[in-house]
Amino acid sequence: MDPEEIEKKPLDQLYPMQKYPIDGQVFKSLVEAGLTWLRTNQQAVNILNVFPVPDGDTGTNMVLTMQAACDEISNSAEHNIGKLTHLIAHGALMGARGNSGVILSQLWRGFARALDNYEVLDGQLLVKALHQGRNTAYKGVVRPVEGTILTVAKDIDAEAERSFADTQDPYIILERAVIAADESVIKTPELLAVLKDAGVVDAGGKGLYFILDGMMRYVKGLPLDVNLTAVQPLSAMKLENAFDSIEPGQDFEVVVDFHPHEELNIPQFYEDLQHIGTSIQLGEGDGIYRMHIHVPSDQENVPLQYIKSLGVVYKASFENLRVQMEQVEHDRGSLIQCKPIEPGQIAIVAVAPGPGIARVFASLDVSAIVEGGQTMNPSTQEILNAFENLPTDRIFILPNNKNIILAAQAATELTVKHITVIPSLSVPQGIAAIFRFSNFISDTVSVIPKEIAKEMIESLNDVETGEITTATRDVEMDGVNVKKGQIISLLNGKLVLASKNLKAATLGLLRKAHADHFEKITLFYGVNVSHLEVDAIVNSIHKKFPKQEIEVLEGGQPHYQFIISIE
Amino acid sequence: MNNDNSQLGRVSISPRAIATIAYHAARQSYGVVGLTSKNLMEGITQVIVKDPTYGIDVKCDGEKISIDIYVIIEYGTRITSVASSVTNTVRFHVEKALGMPVEQVNVHVRGLRVSDMD
Repeated sequence: MDPEEIEKKPLDQLYPMQKYPIDGQVFKSLVEAGLTWLRTNQQAVNILNVFPVPDGDTGTNMVLTMQAACDEISNSAEHNIGKLTHLIAHGALMGARGNSGVILSQLWRGFARALDNYEVLDGQLLVKALHQGRNTAYKGVVRPVEGTILTVAKDIDAEAERSFADTQDPYIILERAVIAADESVIKTPELLAVLKDAGVVDAGGKGLYFILDGMMRYVKGLPLDVNLTAVQPLSAMKLENAFDSIEPGQDFEVVVDFHPHEELNIPQFYEDLQHIGTSIQLGEGDGIYRMHIHVPSDQENVPLQYIKSLGVVYKASFENLRVQMEQVEHDRGSLIQCKPIEPGQIAIVAVAPGPGIARVFASLDVSAIVEGGQTMNPSTQEILNAFENLPTDRIFILPNNKNIILAAQAATELTVKHITVIPSLSVPQGIAAIFRFSNFISDTVSVIPKEIAKEMIESLNDVETGEITTATRDVEMDGVNVKKGQIISLLNGKLVLASKNLKAATLGLLRKAHADHFEKITLFYGVNVSHLEVDAIVNSIHKKFPKQEIEVLEGGQPHYQFIISIE
Repeated sequence: MNNDNSQLGRVSISPRAIATIAYHAARQSYGVVGLTSKNLMEGITQVIVKDPTYGIDVKCDGEKISIDIYVIIEYGTRITSVASSVTNTVRFHVEKALGMPVEQVNVHVRGLRVSDMD
């Protein structure tokens, strides 16, 4: 039977599983299914977090709690439902993480207690156990806040009790409870203002729904490891996403907007399209549907023909993916891939004055890079664009130039995200700050962003920054006389030396910086210096500073022959 | 006492005000069934006056704020998880209200309340 149809059909002695009484082993399968389904939808729960409280993400906490519960029973052959649920409750208690995890463990504790000394879970016991679970959970708090997982547990309990008047079948009661949980979750913003303000439903409640829904999906034989691909609003349909998944033989992308004569039978529609091609997506808006599909090269007209039989076609477009893919492959060489970020994590946005430096930042797990630097400052808008689309609201910005700090600070005023500007004055400082940040990566959950930021700001002083460039006019600055065309050396932003050639400028700078007291010298060479020159200079640095480790990287920055990090 | 000096004048926030925020945050934390006094004498006097800072101790040393919370937790919950979520919730609410970092939040579990025996 088609999965979509199964989903709609109510339980009416339809599923083979309903014949089995729920003993310990059957319940074990149900609970494991609940965990699997919750894990599949973990990110969907995580993004609902409204408080940036650092005790982690609700979805992750609930998964870990359920995981501990399942580990406890994974090797158990217990058939007694009472004993098995006690094991679950014990596992959940020991593994409880975060607020939602603790509440979940209390729900299990009450649930288990109601089943003491029983062999099999029947309808009446299920109602009793859900009730006791709810009561135990409510006892754990002085002032229960409504519109949370507690409210959802309460509504589940109430619905189970109502259902028991109609049926004794625990599977049917569970199914109704799942529906009630879904409705209750949808109503949470009405009860809790912070949810409404943020435009989300309660994360813990949603997690509880997924656990129960997972159990029910298992009963119905529905898949648990794939996210639901329902019909999405037209605006949310992003065709680029389907783009990566092209396989051989899927040469054309066909997109058709149409208005069906009759109401669209969506399961049937999907089924028919599956015979034609892959990467099928369907979007809907105002009675108009948009269909997206990939088909082999000689069949690009088939989807259009098929849809013409269903309704009026408004617009159809074809694109040859083969050709496009070649283009993408070609571009990819120069494309810099940043670290994908997950909701709730801290994303680092760095300003990089050249492609080589951008690549270095990307390799250090920066989430977004803004191009710019000396004499090519990015605008506030460009900085804003770099992080507005990241799926997290905790952002650290490394401006890496004193002229960009203000623009970065202005960007913080224009967004609802929590932005911290780490006032790095140079690329070496930015890199030092990222190294400090990476100490926290394994543990960003329990550390407050402010503390990380503090550490990062401290680390800015760990490194000396040298810059070598050509003077564009005559000037006297910081007590140094400079003639136009001379090579000048800047140490931490201060002019320290004017020399006739690059080599003298570089060595002079390192001397002024007392590089012999440091361990490592890193040179980023710019676009205006040749490989031969770089090699020659690096050789002489080796001779003058034999004890120091020297690293040379392509920075690709304009104007500056060298940006030097001394640490 | 904490001062936010600006050209327009001075804002000072008393430890009691901070304690009130912490008190409400702690009471909303799941697993916390009550707050309790640091010692017996204080308990008696504070119960009489129904202090909204009962069970909270705030120390300010210059810019450094540290908060001690004395709680009773529901029996049967995982105490470390409850305590760490109290820490997080209190820190979050206080920092949000004050706009200043909280140096430390110490949770002292003074007892467990048993409402159901397993």
